[in-house]
Amino acid sequence: MKLVVLGVLALAAPLVLVDYQLVFAAEILVWGLFALSFGLVYGFGGMLSFAQALYFGMGCYGFNVATYKYALGTWSAIAAGVAAAFLFAIPTGYIATRVRRHHFLIVTVILSVLTSAMLASGHWRWIAGPYVTRSLPFVPTLAVGPWELSFGSEAFTFYFSAAMVAAAVWLAWRLVSSPFGRALAAIRDNEARAELGGLNVNLLRWLMFTFAAGIAGLAGTLYVLLARYTNIEFFDWTYSGKAVVAAILGGASSLAGPFAGMAFYLVTTEYLSRYMQQVAIAFGLLLLVVVRFAPEGIYVACARRLREVFKRRPRE
Amino acid sequence: MEELLRSGYRRVTAIGASAFAARPFAGMVPGAVELLPVLVLNGLVWGLIVALIALGLSIIFGLLDFVNVAHGDFFMVGAVLAWVLIDSTGNFWIAFAIVPAIGLVAGGLIERGVLRPVENDASLSIVASFGLSLILQEGVRATYGATPKRILDPIGVTFPVFGLEYEFYRLFAAGVSLIAMGAFFLFLHRTKFGTWMRAVRQDREIAIAMGVPSDRIFMWTFGLGTAMAMLGGVVAAPLTSVEFRLGLDVLPLCFIAVIIGGLGNLPGTAAAAVLLSVMEGAITSIAEPTTARIISLVFMSAVLLVRPRGLFTRLAT
Repeated sequence: MKLVVLGVLALAAPLVLVDYQLVFAAEILVWGLFALSFGLVYGFGGMLSFAQALYFGMGCYGFNVATYKYALGTWSAIAAGVAAAFLFAIPTGYIATRVRRHHFLIVTVILSVLTSAMLASGHWRWIAGPYVTRSLPFVPTLAVGPWELSFGSEAFTFYFSAAMVAAAVWLAWRLVSSPFGRALAAIRDNEARAELGGLNVNLLRWLMFTFAAGIAGLAGTLYVLLARYTNIEFFDWTYSGKAVVAAILGGASSLAGPFAGMAFYLVTTEYLSRYMQQVAIAFGLLLLVVVRFAPEGIYVACARRLREVFKRRPRE
Repeated sequence: MEELLRSGYRRVTAIGASAFAARPFAGMVPGAVELLPVLVLNGLVWGLIVALIALGLSIIFGLLDFVNVAHGDFFMVGAVLAWVLIDSTGNFWIAFAIVPAIGLVAGGLIERGVLRPVENDASLSIVASFGLSLILQEGVRATYGATPKRILDPIGVTFPVFGLEYEFYRLFAAGVSLIAMGAFFLFLHRTKFGTWMRAVRQDREIAIAMGVPSDRIFMWTFGLGTAMAMLGGVVAAPLTSVEFRLGLDVLPLCFIAVIIGGLGNLPGTAAAAVLLSVMEGAITSIAEPTTARIISLVFMSAVLLVRPRGLFTRLAT
């Protein structure tokens, strides 16, 4: 039921929204996917990661290498972006998932600072090359069956982003409701007991981390297609901070929460910026208020509220 | 065809060579090794300042279980206030008295009024302090401006160190940091309030049951941590350019020091901050600064993996 409503909304969106609003909607979906990658790691795996931006950045990086160096098509470039994030997460995730709690947080911060420092430094050009900060000099097109569709069209960009995000969310949903997801929930809730129950704790955490990194990489490639530019900033830990804030704001332990949180984040900052200059101050205050009154996340709080309303009605 | 193969071959060897040979040291300047003492001294000075800030972070982190993402911004606010005080009064030295006092009161009030409901929940504390960090950064940008400003060396005396003119102010900064840290440890171990703070950190429930006023402890702990960050900002202000993003680079360093030193191990935190910075300074004499930072961070991660309880377990208070 919920899914049908969402699907109809997505299909009808280009009829209602103006072009720039469509792109904005697609942006919310893509950044929401990025927040979801943190939600998977933290809400479902219990790992407070500040490294998600690395994999978002690696998605952009892989896309750029594929199109700039090897002149590949868009589908291959998307695959390359996801693969880059995935491959980068295998060693870094292995290191990070050895440790727990606050140590995990710090190891991910170190990884972020390390990578940003390397890419920003002039002495690592052979890695960074022209792939880190780049504006696409062309409008990407995508071969779908016999058609060659262009990202110059806002409607197509929106549909494509929505479809890819939906596919990723479906995949994530399958994963967290699978035995693997349940095992991970067990680890999150009581690691010692899960280990005694015979689960290979480190391996499962590592797998989840890598999967979430792939999701972040996909978000990165979708963002390049949308905005047609990439920046070294995307690797910065402050970008991870945005995903962390959005996901926790929306409710990190649900699949819809990170999207709700990111939508709240982007929509409020976008619309507040029309009426006032110091948007960030207002948004900061808003964060403090939300944390105070809806600590379990906006999405979860609203969902509970709605459920209460709908439950009460038949009784009356 | 042959040429293609050869170029492909060359590319492979080029990547291979750069990955395995001395590529990370490409910034090596012959003769820079002579600067080693000066660079180590610089590292020591900066390390002591970072240690002061990291101690503030550590008591907030350890006592309130509050991951304070805004701590770096309090440091930045301290530096900005120092600039404002110079600009309005022409006297740098009063900043050392006024700014930490502002930090103590403001930090206490913020903890009491805003952060109290979200303590003891790491994820919520990140969101709340991220909000706080936005407010501080944008507030400073709106009032103080976005352009970086410099404070002139307030002492203006240099002396020769190994063939270089070294600013006396740097030694003074190191001295102030050391004195502040010493005073903090005396406070922690020699006063009633400090003993209460240690008691609450060790076992909150028992401490409360024994009649320790935990509400006041939390409030003043946050205030004290903030005051230390802002004092660090004043001390560091003449050594760097003062701008609203100043805190973003310092914060990860402080977190790293807190964890490498061992969570809740205050002397360990200070030692880790100094070690990190001195090591970076020493490596800078043979490599360029980014490489030095990368090497020291790799070392730190290795420490974290091998000794997850911190480098200085013997120093635990």
